[in-house]
Amino acid sequence: MLDLFLFAIPAAFVLAGALIVIFAKNPVHNAMGLVLTLASLAVVYITLNATFVAMVQMLVYAGAVMTLFLFVIMMIGVDKAEQTKEEIKGQTFLVLGTLILLGSLLTYIVINSGFKWDLWFPAVDYSIEGTPDVLAGSLFTSWIFPFEVISILLIVAATAAIALAYDTKTRRDDD
Amino acid sequence: MEYILLVVIFVPLMVSIFLNSISKFLNERLTTFVTINGALLSFSISLFMFGALLLDKFKPISLNLFTWIPNPDISFEFLLDGLSGTMMLLVTGLGLVIQIFSTSYMSGDPRFVKYFVYFNFFVFSMLLLVMSSNFLVMFFGWELVGLSSYFLISFWSEKKEAAKAGNKAFVLNRIGDFGFLIALMMILNTFDTFTFKKIFEATLLNQPDNLDIILIFLMIGAFGKSAQLPLFSWLPDAMEGPTPASALIHAATMVTAGVFMLVRVSPLLQFSEITSILVISIGLITALVSAFAAINQDDIKKVLAYSTISQLGFMFIAIGAGAYVAAIFHLVTHAFFKALLFLGAGAVIHEMHHEQNIQKMGGLKKKMPFTAAMMGIGTLAISGIPPLAGFWSKDEILASVFSKGGIYYGFWLLSLLAAFLTAFYMGRHWLLIFHKDPTTDIENVHEAPKMMTRPLLLLGMFSIFIGFINTPFFHGLEKVLHYTLIDVEVTHLPEGITVVILALLSIGAGFTGLGVAYLIYIVDIFSYFKFEIPFTKEVKDLSYNVLYLNKIGNQIFVQVPKSLARKTAVLIDGLIIDGFVNGVSSLFYKSSKTISVTQSGLVRNYVVYFGFFLLLLISIFIATPLIIL
Amino acid sequence: MIEVTTDWYLTLAALLFSIGFIGMMVRKNALIMFMCIELMLNAVNLTFITASKHFGQIEPQISVFFVLVVAAAEVVVGLAIIVSIFKKQETASVDILRSSRG
Repeated sequence: MLDLFLFAIPAAFVLAGALIVIFAKNPVHNAMGLVLTLASLAVVYITLNATFVAMVQMLVYAGAVMTLFLFVIMMIGVDKAEQTKEEIKGQTFLVLGTLILLGSLLTYIVINSGFKWDLWFPAVDYSIEGTPDVLAGSLFTSWIFPFEVISILLIVAATAAIALAYDTKTRRDDD
Repeated sequence: MEYILLVVIFVPLMVSIFLNSISKFLNERLTTFVTINGALLSFSISLFMFGALLLDKFKPISLNLFTWIPNPDISFEFLLDGLSGTMMLLVTGLGLVIQIFSTSYMSGDPRFVKYFVYFNFFVFSMLLLVMSSNFLVMFFGWELVGLSSYFLISFWSEKKEAAKAGNKAFVLNRIGDFGFLIALMMILNTFDTFTFKKIFEATLLNQPDNLDIILIFLMIGAFGKSAQLPLFSWLPDAMEGPTPASALIHAATMVTAGVFMLVRVSPLLQFSEITSILVISIGLITALVSAFAAINQDDIKKVLAYSTISQLGFMFIAIGAGAYVAAIFHLVTHAFFKALLFLGAGAVIHEMHHEQNIQKMGGLKKKMPFTAAMMGIGTLAISGIPPLAGFWSKDEILASVFSKGGIYYGFWLLSLLAAFLTAFYMGRHWLLIFHKDPTTDIENVHEAPKMMTRPLLLLGMFSIFIGFINTPFFHGLEKVLHYTLIDVEVTHLPEGITVVILALLSIGAGFTGLGVAYLIYIVDIFSYFKFEIPFTKEVKDLSYNVLYLNKIGNQIFVQVPKSLARKTAVLIDGLIIDGFVNGVSSLFYKSSKTISVTQSGLVRNYVVYFGFFLLLLISIFIATPLIIL
Repeated sequence: MIEVTTDWYLTLAALLFSIGFIGMMVRKNALIMFMCIELMLNAVNLTFITASKHFGQIEPQISVFFVLVVAAAEVVVGLAIIVSIFKKQETASVDILRSSRG
């Protein structure tokens, strides 16, 4: 029973946050919805024995990324309300078509499997803990090269962001 | 020793390239210096080579420059024997004389240098043609000669007629060249070599089956270059070029290339009865038709052009009758007196300020006595008056035709008629220009400058004396050509009293022709006796328009294909092909215009497409039975 | 007694992804579209972690680690782009931008 609660409550929060993200009018509310989703996902990760990933999720996503989002929201302002009316010709029609296709696909899968989803590969009967030492043991031995590459990616991204956001005009005025 | 040949051939090319590359820095004096000295060098070396050849009793000298393809045997080789030696002397010698004339005639022309560039290039290609030792090198020369002729005909290309005449000459020559090309392919296929000597030796042993066809195609090539019926009409038009160039190219050398070529292949020709008959008949028809046409031409140069065609017809008559020596003999004498006549005409044109209509001349005898005398020598020579050059060669042709007997008696009679006509129209030509009372004001006309009269004098002397190289008493040219025609059966003059009677007859024809011309055009005998020949106007018309051959040819070969091509252009090209192409392009244009609506540039639209088709893909995966390994 | 199996987690991931995708389609604000991308990325992460539990492997969690880093980099660059566009257009709506129109 505890399992069920541990899954259902965070899952409900995840979905609720996601819905807030797509339905709220105010960008700050959207961002808060996203925080809710991300934080609840971290709880779900813990129930899946991935403690380290859950911690990183809290730190990186709910911490750093969301802070960035909020900064940008503050920069570009929240007072301008988004136009709710659809303006692109045929977009409503296309979205509806896609949604119908999605729905019918899901329905078909559900009906076809008769609510009994047998995965092709059965679960193992032991479980592993995603603790930092286990993760690091693998990451710093067999995955060391991708790890180094990803550090270069981060530096490049940071440089790109500076180059993009750097306002040459005002900078020259300051000189 | 043999390599000196190359100097003769390539000096004109070097001069041509040299003049062309520094043409901007040259004035007329400098150009004259360069080109005359080049021609002089070329001529003296050819004299030297000819002397060397003479001492060696005209034994052929051959030079294999390099082998291009060993099998089939194609190489660059040159040959100097009596035939090519004669032609070499002729080309370089006349080239020198005519270049001296040209320096005066062309002076003041803005493209003075270019003229000599083309001129020397022509001399080079002609030498390449005559010195060749195989068909391929000969073909190179043949084509280059056509090209340089094109340059010189349309030298004053700002004149529309000149440009047109150049094109016409080029196209009609191409028809002949095409025949030559086909003959070349067949020769390579039959003999596996292009070298004359090997081909002749092989033919002597046993004649291939397709020899007749090869020779007929070669004949077509010769007729194209030598302006025989039906490919003759470019030569009168080619008179649009500068007169000295006409003298060298369209009278003395290039047009005789066909004669030269047929004499060169005479070892083959003697085995082909049908080709000989064809050559003699077409030569005869050409000689008669063009002589008839020359009677009523008014352009001073066109008379000479038709006369050239007629004389070339005589040469072909000789070839058809097997009198190859007589053909070359007539070629040589004709080259001199026709060059003389052309240069004389050039002097007249120059002094008359480019007036070319002989009806508007007359009485020039008093103003230009020297030119008149020289032109008179030329006229007498071409009419066959002894002891001038034309008499010996023409008489030899006529006598040789006569001596063949049988059907050749008929040919002889018609040739005699052509000789009579020749004398008649040449007499008219000279009388109308120099003798008749002046019809226009000629007060300001003077004798031509020295640079023009001296070449005339030189050529005049030759026109008188060159005939003695091959008289019935002294067979000089026959000895020269001995090795060339060693395996060939050559028709000779008849024996004894016959030759004298024949000579008297041809002299008679010459004098009668001149006399009749005098009676008609000076005494004006018809109005004197109040006598009218029926159909005078019609005959004149016919003659002036060359039996309307030009117009008929134009109708059949130009107008009909033109209208056909126009219809094709409208129907097949315009409707079907263009329609198809345009249809495809407009189909793509319209469909892409329609489809490009989807490329709205809106990110959200793209997101939807992406998602939609992703879902579609998943549906297909689900619908397809999955194959598990 | 209802047991929480792997299927449940996968269903949750699928729903999260679908919501993110629908948001991509209907929202005009570039920022919110970005948040929707984050939602979808997290849905994928969830499947990774689920697979890690299901198969008893550590590698899926390493993948998630990498995805996190890439997502962070992407957010940094993407937000910089949004800011610079906003400076030019005075709006964050993506419907204004049509320069890639065919």
